[in-house]
Amino acid sequence: MILAVCGKGGVGKTTISAVAAAALRRRAGVRVLVVDGDPAGGLGMALSVEAKKTLNDVRVEVIDEVKAGERSKRGLAQAMDYRLAEAIIENGNLAFLSIGRPDDVGCYCRVNSFLKMAIESLAGGFDMTVIDAEAGIEQVNRDVMATVDYILLVSDTSAKGVRVAETIRDVAKRMVGGDGAGLVINRVRDEGEVESIRRSTSLDVIGWIPEDDSIRRYDENMTSFFDLPECPARISIENALKATGLL
Amino acid sequence: MGLFDEQVAAVERFLAEERSAGNVREFRAGSRPAWPSEQSLVLEDDTAIELGNPRIASLSSLVWSEGPVEDGRISLVGPDVSEMDERGVPFAQVVIAGGKFTDVYESYRDVREAIYDTVLEGFMVRTMPSRQSIWCRISREAVSGGFSLEDLGDALIWNLKTVEPVTGAEVLFVTSSVADVERLAPAASGARRVIEALMKMYEEKNFDCETCEYRDVCDEVMDLKKIRERLADQKAGAGP
Repeated sequence: MILAVCGKGGVGKTTISAVAAAALRRRAGVRVLVVDGDPAGGLGMALSVEAKKTLNDVRVEVIDEVKAGERSKRGLAQAMDYRLAEAIIENGNLAFLSIGRPDDVGCYCRVNSFLKMAIESLAGGFDMTVIDAEAGIEQVNRDVMATVDYILLVSDTSAKGVRVAETIRDVAKRMVGGDGAGLVINRVRDEGEVESIRRSTSLDVIGWIPEDDSIRRYDENMTSFFDLPECPARISIENALKATGLL
Repeated sequence: MGLFDEQVAAVERFLAEERSAGNVREFRAGSRPAWPSEQSLVLEDDTAIELGNPRIASLSSLVWSEGPVEDGRISLVGPDVSEMDERGVPFAQVVIAGGKFTDVYESYRDVREAIYDTVLEGFMVRTMPSRQSIWCRISREAVSGGFSLEDLGDALIWNLKTVEPVTGAEVLFVTSSVADVERLAPAASGARRVIEALMKMYEEKNFDCETCEYRDVCDEVMDLKKIRERLADQKAGAGP
């Protein structure tokens, strides 16, 4: 099962990805792959995991393999698997991989294409894969979402946030089958805001998360979200995952 | 004469030296039930033994011979899985396939695929073909179930013998020390150079020796030179 957390920048995707990863990790016998798909690399910080090698580094190393004379698809796939194994940081039943960013100036399409290949190669070995996607629709456009079973759309209570979530859903619709997308509304101050959004959007609202000082404190102190105790935000995120059968 | 005569001879010399020192144990393929075949992801937490971690020495080499091969022989220098005191162990895996390889390019690809396709339950392998690196994890469950390098050798030999021109195969594992693994490195890198030269000939069809970085390999390996001449003739015959 592959879950991607998508939405406009600044709506809390990384926090929700981190809390979701921590919740999944607590389940005995479940192997979780967590991919920080945002070149800014915030998820690693939220989980206090430091990637020594990123997916972009792996991509560069695989290109070096081609330059060194490796030409067969299978040989390159072997090299990619080896380098990915080096890049993954393991913590119990959880493995973490960061996308990183290219050194050269330019678009991220190559590393996003590589992300898709890496997810296809790795995800089969895990019960759950959580991808903290980069803001906006670039990765949705780049077919990364073709590997995804469910898109957890995140928005704050702003109309702009909800519109971006709708756009992502529309672009991803042809790639993610069935009811493979749901909206979580973040930083809600009163329930009336949720009702108002429900009336204004065609998205399936699967949950909402209240403003919670615990989250702000963990962010400010850079404490690992693995250690986040039960708090209203954590309970709400877990409930949203349960509502979709992901937890 | 064969493409890998020098490398096969080097492996045989290594084995002879270790044998005379009483350091070699030999098993026969097929002498115990086959270990279940299944693609496995072994996370660090589930790992009992790690062979050839990138921080330790590792080596993986594949050669073939048209001369006699000790079919089904699995040689082990160093401790087997159940005897390993440490979690991380240096590791070398040398595979020698025997047969009549009329189309060496296709045969190489088929033999390599057979090795890649060797998957065992509770055993995860990652290889870096261009660097002859191999990194394996054996799960706690597999170790408690009695997994041995004999099982790995058995599976490799069985899979290799499904490739049509392969009539026999043998495998050598080294787990004794970094130094012992490194003793096989010249043979492994020599084999890699022969394969790279072969791939270049078949895939690039460029036979200009003056500009070729593998000229020294062709000069040393007669069979490679013959292949080069045959392919160059074919190219010339094919016309513009």
